Amino acid sequence: MRGQGVSHLSRLELQILGDNTKMGWGLLAPIRSQTVSRSLLYNRRLPHSSFTPYFFQHFQPPSGLTLPSETMAKDMTLLWGSGSPPCWRVMIALEEKNLKGYNHKLLSFDKKEHKSEEVMKMNPRGQLPAFKHGDKVLNESYAACLYLENQFKSQGNKLIPDCPAELALMYQRMLEGLTLHQKMIDDITYNWKVPEGEKHDSAVKRIRESLTAEIKLWEGYLQKTSGGFLAGKTFSLADVCVYPTIFTIFRFRLCEERYPKLAAYYNRLKDRPSIKASWPPTWLENPRGEDIMKDI
Amino acid sequence: PCWRVMIALEEKNLKGYNQRLLAFEKMEHKSEEVMKMNPRGQLPAFKHGDKVLNESYAACLYLENQFKSQGNKLIPDCPAELAMMYQRMFEGLTLQQKMADVIYYNWKVPEGERHDSAVKRNRESLTAEIKMWEGYLQKTSGGFLAGKTFSLADVCVYPGICYVFHFGLCEERYPKLAAYYNRLKDRPSIKASGPPTWLENPQGQDMLKDI
Repeated sequence: MRGQGVSHLSRLELQILGDNTKMGWGLLAPIRSQTVSRSLLYNRRLPHSSFTPYFFQHFQPPSGLTLPSETMAKDMTLLWGSGSPPCWRVMIALEEKNLKGYNHKLLSFDKKEHKSEEVMKMNPRGQLPAFKHGDKVLNESYAACLYLENQFKSQGNKLIPDCPAELALMYQRMLEGLTLHQKMIDDITYNWKVPEGEKHDSAVKRIRESLTAEIKLWEGYLQKTSGGFLAGKTFSLADVCVYPTIFTIFRFRLCEERYPKLAAYYNRLKDRPSIKASWPPTWLENPRGEDIMKDI
Repeated sequence: PCWRVMIALEEKNLKGYNQRLLAFEKMEHKSEEVMKMNPRGQLPAFKHGDKVLNESYAACLYLENQFKSQGNKLIPDCPAELAMMYQRMFEGLTLQQKMADVIYYNWKVPEGERHDSAVKRNRESLTAEIKMWEGYLQKTSGGFLAGKTFSLADVCVYPGICYVFHFGLCEERYPKLAAYYNRLKDRPSIKASGPPTWLENPQGQDMLKDI
């Protein structure tokens, strides 16, 4: 907390602290107890009343006390690999919900570390991400994202819109995102997943045509949807779950001129704090990927 | 996927919705009527007002979110059950995929691209997956996939489990899965929405009997 500035605090925390920046004790005007107690509970249980006095020191709580989001995050563990869209989804969600300070370990797919005993213990499927909150295991990235939004609804950014139309579109695009991801994977991994004796040019062609049709569909979605995000006007779980895949496709040099709406979406969200903060580290070192998709 | 949405609608007491049964064999899923609602030419195609939800999981999540207070509660409050629900829900997609890879192999893979080695590999993958789910039901007490209450995990995964038994999966070999399958068969929402073609022909093919 010391010296870190206030960027990691939620809007509500900032508002409250802003009203009480004097050194020493401060008293809050009556505020909805639920929101206040959750966002400012310094590891203590406070009575849930509508008027709760808080004792502040100016941005510097006594050492040993941490913000609730850090406390909760300390019970979280993420085993992840760089460049894996499913891993990235969970990291974006954690950032969006202000869950910082979680335990995490970067593992190498190349060294087959995703099949190590450490991973298998948490995820018998030997896949990343492997995510845990306390004793709750959520190895499916979509499961982890939905869980985080459900359990931490009131902190960080709201990832599920209230508007029913945006909500429906969010769920629809989220789940369609799995199809986009699968078709991308089928294309990228064909050569090393399919045994030599089973490879066929006809299959490669069909897979590539399928991916092309899928990408065109998403270009169309972004043409039709106004607001700049997949579900409409606000960043949602749809963007959390699908952006990593779209990013990966452009990393493989999908032609930006051919898919202007997708490219605009990709470029616009690149600098979103949660996305920037969780950028795959191996891609920072090596920003240009192979041009597998330049002809799509 | 279609069955999931119908179970969810029943569970939320949403009766009297407009519905049309279409025939895959007659390629009706590629008809103009379907393409208009779902350009992917897939079923289910679901709409609430002008909100289109053609992904079955999207429709189920939407229905529970929007009709939380009616019918049965499909998302548990208990965080541990909630987490387990989401986890099993999404693992259910893997089960479905592996099942489809075996059952629809000849339909999906052009003749010149078929290989016995691929068929074998797909079957081994499905076998491992089914064993995993048998294990899940051994470990989870309460009778449902997420624990003590029927949830979206059951809505989304039960149809797939029903499917593997319909295609001949051996009940003795997978007793926990069989118990789950038989126990939920008579749940009102499941009984009310069971595939009509299966009622006429309850003994499906035995493609999975040796798994």
